[in-house]
Amino acid sequence: MADAIEAVNVLTFALDAIQQRQQLIANNIANENTPDYQAKVVDFETSLANAVANGGTASATVTPEGLPSGTDGNNVSLPAELALESQTNLENQSVADSLNAQFAMLSSAVS
Amino acid sequence: MSMFPSISIAGTGLEVDQTWIDAIGGNVANAEDAVTPGQPVYRDEEIVAEAAPSGSNPVGDGVEAKGVALGSAQGVLTYAPDSPLANAKGYVTYPDVNIGHEMTSLVEAQVSYEVNAKVMQNSTDAYNAILQIKA
Repeated sequence: MADAIEAVNVLTFALDAIQQRQQLIANNIANENTPDYQAKVVDFETSLANAVANGGTASATVTPEGLPSGTDGNNVSLPAELALESQTNLENQSVADSLNAQFAMLSSAVS
Repeated sequence: MSMFPSISIAGTGLEVDQTWIDAIGGNVANAEDAVTPGQPVYRDEEIVAEAAPSGSNPVGDGVEAKGVALGSAQGVLTYAPDSPLANAKGYVTYPDVNIGHEMTSLVEAQVSYEVNAKVMQNSTDAYNAILQIKA
């Protein structure tokens, strides 16, 4: 039971971070033609894996993507963002499915 | 911040693209508006985008049209002595609109519009997946 609750906490954190990543991708794509806009990425996997292994709190961090900029100072790569978007959508779906599975187990345990 | 921020962020992208496409339409429609030299001539309009201010939110809040960069007020002098608008030396003033540039911008704006619309659709699907979670 405690394991299942722990799993729900981890999945909920992951779902929040994936949401943040989706927003950031949407923001990078919306600013594809904005002069001097620098693309950003969300990283949370390392921090979450570390927190699961060693205890402590996980966090999601936003950092510049750091790709080279074009002549207008913008460095959004549309193909990269679209690939990341598809991947993030699938992660979102699988985390949502896993949460559903955990909740199903929990409710069968309490009934 | 809306309840479904990815959708509203993609929406800001669509809005800027729409503004951009409208400006291109105006430029192309007025590209041949000749005037007598010295008269005010149509000025090319280029939409300048900037990231929307998002305060302390590190993710950002989309994009907005910051303003319009106007082209040359003098326009371009073209030698056309037969035109009724020609001055004593035979010159007519045309707007400083470059059709090649407008057409490439139009393609860019259309692609950008499509991609933002796609992001909006995908974000809706993602939010739907979350709304399906039930205990």
